[in-house]
Amino acid sequence: MKMIDPHVHMTSRTTDDYTAMAAAGISALVEPAFWLGQPRTTVGSFIDYFNSLVGWERFRASQFGIRHFCTIGLNPKEANNPKLAGEVIDLLPRFLAKDGVVAVGELGFDDQTEDEARWFTRQLEIAREFNLPVLVHTPHRDKKQGTIRTIELLRSLKYPEERVLIDHNNEETLPIVLNTGCWAGHSIYPNTKMDEHRMAALVKKYGVDRMIVNSAADWGISDPLKVPKTTDAMRSLGIPEEAIHEVVWNNPVAFFSQSGRFDVADLAEPPAVDRSLSYESNSVLRGERR
Amino acid sequence: MPINESVRNQLQSALQVRTSGEAARWLQEALKEAERGPLERLLALYTEASMRLGRLPLAASGGESFAAAPEGLALDRWTLEDAARATFLLARADHVDFEAFEDVARACYEQGDAREQQSWLRAVVLLPAPDRFLALVIDACRTNILPVFEAVACENPYPSRFFPERNFNQLVMKALFTGVRLDRIVGLAARANIELARMATDFAAERRAAGRPVPADIGLALSSAAA
Repeated sequence: MKMIDPHVHMTSRTTDDYTAMAAAGISALVEPAFWLGQPRTTVGSFIDYFNSLVGWERFRASQFGIRHFCTIGLNPKEANNPKLAGEVIDLLPRFLAKDGVVAVGELGFDDQTEDEARWFTRQLEIAREFNLPVLVHTPHRDKKQGTIRTIELLRSLKYPEERVLIDHNNEETLPIVLNTGCWAGHSIYPNTKMDEHRMAALVKKYGVDRMIVNSAADWGISDPLKVPKTTDAMRSLGIPEEAIHEVVWNNPVAFFSQSGRFDVADLAEPPAVDRSLSYESNSVLRGERR
Repeated sequence: MPINESVRNQLQSALQVRTSGEAARWLQEALKEAERGPLERLLALYTEASMRLGRLPLAASGGESFAAAPEGLALDRWTLEDAARATFLLARADHVDFEAFEDVARACYEQGDAREQQSWLRAVVLLPAPDRFLALVIDACRTNILPVFEAVACENPYPSRFFPERNFNQLVMKALFTGVRLDRIVGLAARANIELARMATDFAAERRAAGRPVPADIGLALSSAAA
C-alpha cells in the first residue's frame, strides 16, 4: 500500500531510514520545521535550517524515490525567545513562497505562554496572506487545555478550520478536535504520545473522516516506520483496506492539496531515481559515485 | 550579601579540604584570575574546572553539613566542579559592577556545555540579584537534556522562589512527564495551586485513557486542591 508520512523530521534521520521507508511503501512525506532538540541562538541558524528543508533534504529524499515536502514556521518552543522570534517571523515570507512548502508550521502552544500566543496569532495571519494551510503542534504538558486554547484562538481569528491540521492528538483531545472542522493528526511514537494499536482502536471508534497518522520521527526515540506499522495494526483490527487508504493517503493528500502545491497527479509517479545525481557536487550516495 | 558571603566561604573551605597538590594550586590561582581576569580567561577556567578538579562529590564521606546554604539548596549533592564554578562567579561578582557581572555570568551559561550549564543552574540562587536571570532559567527548563532540567527542578530553591505560577506549574508537569520525582522539587507544597492540581488531574486522565500508568507521586501536585 502506498503511504504518506505527513510529519517526519528527516534532517535527523539516516539514509538507512529513507531506504526502509521507501521499501515499506512511503512514497511522499512532509517535513515540518521544528526545533533541533536545543535552542538556536542566532537567526542565521534558522536560515540555514529552512534552506536545508527546501533544498538539501528534498534532494536526499528524491534519491530514495520519496517526494519531500515541508512546512516552514516558528515553532512554539523557540517562540519564547523574544529577540529571535521577531527575526525568524521576518524570514517567513521569503521561505513560504518556495515550491514544495505546503503549510505554515509547526506553530502553536508548548508552555502556553503569552509569547507563544502572540506568534501563533501572527503566523495565522501570515498563513492567510500566503493562502496556506497550517500545521498546529499541541503541547506535551497540559495537552487538553492547550488543545482547547488552540481552537479558541483559531476561532477568535475566524481561521478556516478545514485548513488546520491539529497534531499529536490522544484519546482525550481527539473528540474535541473532531468536533471542529479541523483535521486530526496523530504522532505514533514508541513510548509516548500514541502507539499504533491505540491508534487503530481510535480509527475503529471514530471512523476515518479527517484522521491522519504520522511518525513525527526526529532526533529522539522514534520510528520512521510508524505509518506502515499503524497500517498493519489497522489491518489486524479488521479495518477495511479502503478505510486504511483514506487515513494514510487520501486524507493527507486532501489536506495538503489545499496549498495548491501538493500535486496529486505528480504523486502518482515516484521521482525518477538517478543515483548518480549529486546536489551541488556532494553525493549522498557516496558508493554510487563514478 | 552576608548569606552568599558565608556560602562562598563554606564552598571554598570544602574545596580546600577536598583538593590537594596540583589541583589545589590551580584552584588558588584560578580564583585570583576569576576576580579580575579577562572574560575569555574566566570562560576557560569555568570549563577547565571539571578537568582540573574532577566530578567527585563536594561533601567528604561522613560529610560536613553546609549550614549557610539557602534552604533547599543541596550543596552536599554538588560536585567539586560545581563548587569551583560557583566560587569563580561569586568572586567575580565582588570585583565588578553588576552589569559587567551579568554579562560574564550569562556568557558562562550560554557558552557552557551541559555540565557547565548544570553547575551554573545549581548556583544561580547564590548569585547577586538572582531574579535578573529568571528568563534564562525558565528557558533552561525547555531543555531535552534531563540532567540540565534536573539542575533547575531538583534540590534547587530557585523555581519556587522566583518562577511565576505558570512556569512553576510547567516545571512540575515536565517533572511528571520525564519521571523526575516530585519530592525533589523544593517548595512544591508551598507553591502548589489549584491550576496545577487541574493540570495534574487532566494528566492522570490522559494516562488512564492511554492505558498507561499514572506516576505514583502525582498526589504531591494535587495537594493544593484544599487551598
